[in-house]
Amino acid sequence: MEKKDIIQSFKDSLFTGLIALALFGPIVGLRTVSKGEGLFITPQWGVVFFLVGLCILGRFLININSARRTELKIFSTLSSKFSSITEDKAKHFAITGILFAVIFPFLPFTDRYFMDVAIMILTYIMLGWGLNIVVGLAGLLDLGYVAFYAVGAYSYALIATTFGWSFWICLPLAGVFAAFFGILLGFPVLRLRGDYLAIVTLGFGEIIRIILINWYEVTNGPDGITGIPRPSFFGLPFKRSPDEGETSFHLFFNLEYSTMHRIIFLYYLILVLALITNYFTLKIRKLPVGRAWEALREDEIACKSLGVNPTNTKLTAFAIGAMFGGFAGSFFATRQAFISPESFTFIESAIIVAIVVLGGMGSQTGVVLASIFLIGITEMFRDLEQFRMIAFGGAMVLIMVFKPKGILANRKPTILMHGDKK
Amino acid sequence: MSNLLSVENLTMKFGGLTAIDDLSFDAKNNQITSIIGPNGAGKTTVFNCLTGFYKPTNGQMFLHKEDNKISLRKYTDFKIAHVAKVARTFQNIRLFPAMSVLENLLVAQHNELMVASGYSLFGLLNLKTYRDKEQLAVDKAKYWLDIIGLTLRADDNAGDLPYGDQRKLEIVRAMCIEPRLLCLDEPAAGLNPKESAELNKLLKFIKTEKQTGILLIEHDMSVVMGISDHVVVLNYGKKIFEGTAEQTKNSKEVIEAYLGVDE
Repeated sequence: MEKKDIIQSFKDSLFTGLIALALFGPIVGLRTVSKGEGLFITPQWGVVFFLVGLCILGRFLININSARRTELKIFSTLSSKFSSITEDKAKHFAITGILFAVIFPFLPFTDRYFMDVAIMILTYIMLGWGLNIVVGLAGLLDLGYVAFYAVGAYSYALIATTFGWSFWICLPLAGVFAAFFGILLGFPVLRLRGDYLAIVTLGFGEIIRIILINWYEVTNGPDGITGIPRPSFFGLPFKRSPDEGETSFHLFFNLEYSTMHRIIFLYYLILVLALITNYFTLKIRKLPVGRAWEALREDEIACKSLGVNPTNTKLTAFAIGAMFGGFAGSFFATRQAFISPESFTFIESAIIVAIVVLGGMGSQTGVVLASIFLIGITEMFRDLEQFRMIAFGGAMVLIMVFKPKGILANRKPTILMHGDKK
Repeated sequence: MSNLLSVENLTMKFGGLTAIDDLSFDAKNNQITSIIGPNGAGKTTVFNCLTGFYKPTNGQMFLHKEDNKISLRKYTDFKIAHVAKVARTFQNIRLFPAMSVLENLLVAQHNELMVASGYSLFGLLNLKTYRDKEQLAVDKAKYWLDIIGLTLRADDNAGDLPYGDQRKLEIVRAMCIEPRLLCLDEPAAGLNPKESAELNKLLKFIKTEKQTGILLIEHDMSVVMGISDHVVVLNYGKKIFEGTAEQTKNSKEVIEAYLGVDE
């Protein structure tokens, strides 16, 4: 490496430092502290200089690394190895993953906290798989997916609290409602693609949320819906002391009462729902409609010239994707027992899209890895409070730098003429 | 030989620009009809009108089916291929590059497979009726891949094929919808002489064995003169000549349109 290059990259790093200073100065440097009779500003320049220094150093190292392109490619070789391993052994990986997921609640180190995180990750995996149909297969960038999640949650909550129907009746109904909304959104956006589609779907997501806030008579507005019935184990509720004439789960199976029973049941419920979503997606991908989705993603005009009806094809993608969002939504409602519009903000849509894109568009295993990575990392840093969003952002940047096409971006054909060569 | 397609007084205007001006011509069954003309003569616009991508300002297009005449104006975009069975290829190849060669050919059989899969229901249940139909579709794809010599690459991504093979694949993909009329937009563009010779062979095969009428836009005169039964020459949206390949070669109007008028 020449001296000129070093000076150049040093200058570049200083410039980066300048930008970092402009950003961190006001954001981190000036801290407001409330003391008795008002807010006071306490400067913390030490932290700012530390962060700026970190940026300069980091930039300098990246510059040097890219200059010596051939020598320091540890990360790319690592990541390519990683993807080739998971691709070759995708089946083993999936089976091990499912087995691990099945025995997870009974592992010795599993406590309530782990179970909650696992349930959350599984919810996002299911949402990711649902959105994968729309974004990954049909190539329709939907930034308002949370709307269907909300529709599912509210349909479940309203039906369950109004009519008192059981979870197993409300769940499909919530799915149907969400699918209906999927078609409703689908119609106006049929002609749109790419960025334009993204903007309209984003607007749709916000519309649903604002309706939920303002339609007070039905949705109870910002107060949300409380007292949503918990799911029962095929008619056996998880209660310490069941009502008259009822048998609860622990009495029926002669177990000591524990709140963990319900958590474990919820865990298996979301696991089964997620696996159904996965199975369905893997199946439908190999059917004509799945192939038409992917063809539509590749080239819409060519599809039309071959007699594929783009309207119906897109609408089915929206409807099916929305349906799974609705299932996940009703699970969310029954788990929380309380929902409010707060839970369905744009950031949720963004996280789900991030999971699909970072996982590798259309890759089912990728969604799992990205969910564990993004949600898990954010949870691990929960103690750091506001810094956990930095961890989230950092995780995204890392994936984008080292695997710009997503963690697993290998597509396998849906049908083979010559069979598997391996 | 009977007429397959009649275009009558076709006019297409884009604002003040008349891209096609009162064009009438016929294409016959089992014949290759070429449309030639200098750049900007309106050849691709004729195709876009025929295949439903544009709605013509004026005029009629009829496809003859036994004794019936069906008006192509009635059908828009995907229905032209689905109902009227008019297939087309594109000037800049439009395959599904990230999908395998076989998948490309199966998407072309989408509508039959969709019915066979009971709109996905039978397919999800993995019924035998669907699996058999799918096997038939694969066999049909294999038949065409054997003809263009790409059977061994059936499981590779279409985007990874060499350019010439992509051209041929796009043509057989269009053939998979079993069209009555096949419209090819500059199929020889970018092919080397060996590849264009193979293309000629393929088109002749389609014409004679598959009884499909072919409408061809082409600049490569070796292709046009070698295989056309009938040539229509356009300039500035108007038909300036119509006749056999031999007649076209010697036509004064055509030479003037391409090379300009002698001072």
